[in-house]
Amino acid sequence: MTMYKSKKFRGRPFCIITIVGASLLLLFYLISPSSSSSKAQKRPPPAIGGTKSISHYRLDGLQSTWKSFESHERVLILTPIARFYDEYWNNLINLNYPHELIELGFILPRGREANSALLRLEEAVKRLQTGTKKNRFAKVTILRQDFDSPFSQSEKDRHALSGQKERRAAMARARNSLFTTTINAGISWVLWLDADIVETPSTLVQDLAAHNKPIIVANCYQRYVDHGENKIRAYDFNSWQDSDTALQMAKDMGDDEVIFEGYAEMATFRTLMSYQYVAGNDIHEEIQLDGVGATALLVKAEVHRDGAMFPSFPFYHLIESEGFAKMAKRLGYQSYGLPNYLVYHYNE
Amino acid sequence: MNGNPFPHTSQTFNISPHRFQPRSKSQFLRRHPSKRLVLVLCPLVLLLVFFFPTLRTLAVPSLGTAIFRDDPLITTVHHYDLSKSAGTGRGWEREERVLMCIPLRDAAQHLPLMFSHLRNLTYPHSLIDMAFLVSDSKDETLLLLNTLLEKLQSDEDPHQRFGHIDIFEKDFGQVVGQGFSDRHGFAAQGPRRKLMARARNWLLSASLKPEHSWVYWRDADVEVAPPTVIEDLMRHNKDVIVPNIWRPLPDWLGGEQPYDLNSWQESETAIQLAQTLAEDAVIVEGYPEYATWRPHLAYLRDPYGDPDVEMEIDGVGGVSILAKARVFRGGAHFPAFSFERHAETEGFGKMCKRMGFSVVGLPHYVIWHMYEPSVDDLRHMAEMEQERLRKEKEAQEAAGKEKPGGAGSAAAVSDSGESPLKESSREKDPLEMYENGEGFLHSVRAAELRAAKQVAEEMRQQQLAMDKAKAEEAAKKATAAGGSGSKGAKAAAGKSKDAKPAR
Repeated sequence: MTMYKSKKFRGRPFCIITIVGASLLLLFYLISPSSSSSKAQKRPPPAIGGTKSISHYRLDGLQSTWKSFESHERVLILTPIARFYDEYWNNLINLNYPHELIELGFILPRGREANSALLRLEEAVKRLQTGTKKNRFAKVTILRQDFDSPFSQSEKDRHALSGQKERRAAMARARNSLFTTTINAGISWVLWLDADIVETPSTLVQDLAAHNKPIIVANCYQRYVDHGENKIRAYDFNSWQDSDTALQMAKDMGDDEVIFEGYAEMATFRTLMSYQYVAGNDIHEEIQLDGVGATALLVKAEVHRDGAMFPSFPFYHLIESEGFAKMAKRLGYQSYGLPNYLVYHYNE
Repeated sequence: MNGNPFPHTSQTFNISPHRFQPRSKSQFLRRHPSKRLVLVLCPLVLLLVFFFPTLRTLAVPSLGTAIFRDDPLITTVHHYDLSKSAGTGRGWEREERVLMCIPLRDAAQHLPLMFSHLRNLTYPHSLIDMAFLVSDSKDETLLLLNTLLEKLQSDEDPHQRFGHIDIFEKDFGQVVGQGFSDRHGFAAQGPRRKLMARARNWLLSASLKPEHSWVYWRDADVEVAPPTVIEDLMRHNKDVIVPNIWRPLPDWLGGEQPYDLNSWQESETAIQLAQTLAEDAVIVEGYPEYATWRPHLAYLRDPYGDPDVEMEIDGVGGVSILAKARVFRGGAHFPAFSFERHAETEGFGKMCKRMGFSVVGLPHYVIWHMYEPSVDDLRHMAEMEQERLRKEKEAQEAAGKEKPGGAGSAAAVSDSGESPLKESSREKDPLEMYENGEGFLHSVRAAELRAAKQVAEEMRQQQLAMDKAKAEEAAKKATAAGGSGSKGAKAAAGKSKDAKPAR
């Protein structure tokens, strides 16, 4: 075989060299820009230094008050995004808190599915930030996470108990990556708004901030159609008040076990905020919470700055946003919920 | 049929005519005329791709890299792929950015020394961003920091200048004073550590950006550190890594001493102790109240040991921590509450372990912390001084009796086995010696000693310049108001190292 080949190309070593070289080069160029071995982040051009590069901030002057609107407090809206819904985007644009005081942060998982979300997000962001000045946000940061999410995003998979720990841990890491790199010295409030929240009152930020609580969460519901009738049902079960049963369960558990809410296999008998909703009652009624969901969650920036984060490991047998409420409590911050203030989740 | 595909069969040479026929074209091209086109096009495409890198992404649009970049026309939108700020063992070659975090409190006296350390860092300065937090300071820390930074950033040598610098000011309210004995009393430890943890977290969260691959925590009061410290620690490619921290001592206290006892390995005793404590209690190392029997990094030092030896640890000390930025992005922080009965840097180590990160200490790689004499030490020094004067007098009297008109005190002292170098320093007040950074450094290894002395000399120069500037300032204030203050301080900064005039 080799003899034959060498015969074929005898006198034409140029051919072999060209073909081999060409294919090698092609492979190299195709692979190199996407591989992880490429050079480190270079976006800010190698700093030249100079006295202009010194910035000075007084963090003492930062405040987060109930008059957020009038005192021009900056809000950072953070969204981990794997799927892009137009309804989410339109709702975000319709928030009537002054857009020049709002910074946005998005984080996308790696993988093919997120690429299509990224394409649509890019397009939407570009359209907005080049459009009417009034609608533009102060700053938009789009991050790609540095680890693989271990889960697929189908509705059924997402809610199976077995995969919960890995899924919520990955979500926690994504949230932490997002807020640690986007909170800057000017931010007073952080609003966590999930990518599948498709309907909120346009005054969401002001309404939640008006309560002047370190951590406050809206009640997340879902619209659905039943026999041609429009109905709503509870969706997010992560906002709750603790029960003796759950505390006892935690006591008997091993170090690495986690309690999840909303599963029959794990009846905790906690008081869920989802079921506290009474149609027609005062939307500003507050209740104290021990665990919170992060679907529409307003946090004073100082809570995050003090160190409260979303544990990706079992923290008092809690993980992610529920663990966050616990950690904030250990730091001296109480969480609150508004059972009658509804935001709506996308219905798959 | 030309070209038998089975050359190994006996039929190979059965084709007529049995003689050599030169071919006009290569067989390859003859069979596939279209390949000629390919051969021409391939290099052409490659050349195009080589000169226009943007075309590369067209070939692989599914990778998503095509759109993941900033549009120069839209200044408000920024893209970052966090996997590109992962941090590797060769960051200086791969241009990985380092965020250097330095918390400061009443640290004006340490700043000149700290800046000489900064200047000497060998990691490319343009890749280092710095973040300072000035909290609860009653001295001129902020003013001095500003002038020193301005001088550093307007240095003639562009390689001296650092990347972006953030200065944050925030008062957290102080539980205890900053004196050595205040800070290191047992009862003060819990609340004090929690406050320091808050300060560290505020500093980090305000300054960490997506482009940072590494975070280097460094205290201001370091006496001697190798200029290659960032690379030396980075080379190990660990998530969290700390060197061993010692401090030089006066000779009468033993010459040197382990300083940072917060880097340790967990022990059974400590785990059991932790279980007996209340939820909010904080175990602090190095106090007899909590006997934990943990192996401390500090005590495992061998002065002649291999500096690259690693040791797995569970708690870390905060004098000099190098961590990958992804550790902090993942949520690890300095607990300002009791996390598994630990707070601040020790809690940070514990939390990193919990999150599956590698936490490593280098027992034989040493950074020297400053020696601050405690009140007891100072009293002891004063007593020693009195004792010395008394003995000297006695010796003098004795010498006067034995050898009338003889050598005097110098001979008498060198007879008693003291080196002439020490003898000359004996003329000084120990307190003054401490302030000048002299006297107690003999024990440090020779090279380090030289560096330390040079640094101490610079420090004294700067102190003098500062005092002068202050005097000038006061004089100017007396005559005319406004503007004169910063000018005076700049003049002080100008003298700090190479006597270059201020801008």
